[in-house]
Amino acid sequence: MILIPSIGLLKTVLIAVVVTSLSSCSRGNPIPIKSINNSLLRSANSHRNPSLGNEWLGTLALRDGRERIELINLLNGRQVPLPGLNRPDAQPISVSVNAYGDRIALIRQRGERTELLLYRRNLETIQFLDITPQGIPRHVSLNGTGRVLAIQVSRDGRWDVDIIQLPR
Amino acid sequence: MLTGNQQEPSISGNGEKLAVIIDQQGRSTVQLRNLRSGGRIPLRHLYRHQPHTSPSLSWNGRYLAIITQQGNRRLAVIEDLLTGQIHRLPLRAERQPISLKISPDARKIAFELINQGKWQVEIFDLTKILEPDLPSGITRTTRPLIRDE
Repeated sequence: MILIPSIGLLKTVLIAVVVTSLSSCSRGNPIPIKSINNSLLRSANSHRNPSLGNEWLGTLALRDGRERIELINLLNGRQVPLPGLNRPDAQPISVSVNAYGDRIALIRQRGERTELLLYRRNLETIQFLDITPQGIPRHVSLNGTGRVLAIQVSRDGRWDVDIIQLPR
Repeated sequence: MLTGNQQEPSISGNGEKLAVIIDQQGRSTVQLRNLRSGGRIPLRHLYRHQPHTSPSLSWNGRYLAIITQQGNRRLAVIEDLLTGQIHRLPLRAERQPISLKISPDARKIAFELINQGKWQVEIFDLTKILEPDLPSGITRTTRPLIRDE
């Protein structure tokens, strides 16, 4: 025997499917922050590798043929100084800023070495971080407090992810 | 240490969740983990539209922002793990997102784009789309209503 569902039942099922799919999907558009975006366009030849704190943007900015790490305060659009962080003999690879913009994790290439380091902006200090077992870092992600670091590391021909607890 | 071809790690603001891109049957797929328990956290929407690239988590890991493939376009989406909603973030037609980062409080998102052959970063406001994802213990209060007698 074949059971044929009533038209009413089919309608109910169809409405339920449509309501479920609509409720799980949103199509609101993000709004560009034009003042910051225009300022970024004007300030360098290009920007890449963005990292966001709550009110901070870290990027790699290309200016005069050289790439530098820049930190921008999103409340006023101004770049803040990072004394001691950028070096003429180093190429930055990956950068990550914490929520409050006071710590920056960085991977950079200097000569034959790929370095992983933590910059404390308030103290203007750089701390070199060891990777154990040894590996070559490629991508870095700093958590909001700046106390935990996730790093993509090339090791024995594969990509690992290391988690490092950082000192205060 | 997590071994075995895992790329583009993104740690949540509170340091408790980790999103990584893994190779799942030849397709780059995002995986979300709880770093305390080591367990996987299921995702409602992000099991298709590969390749996935550039995952990014908000403070408590409520929001996972990522770039997916939909048809012939790269499309940024945000999955809300609290409500199960997916938010699609279309950009203008000539702009393809290369990478993205959501701010820890989920109020902003930064896109890395190539526009007319030039690398660019643009910031967008998300406050009309998402509730903020703030550290636990922070309460928001409204100003008391004061009436002139």
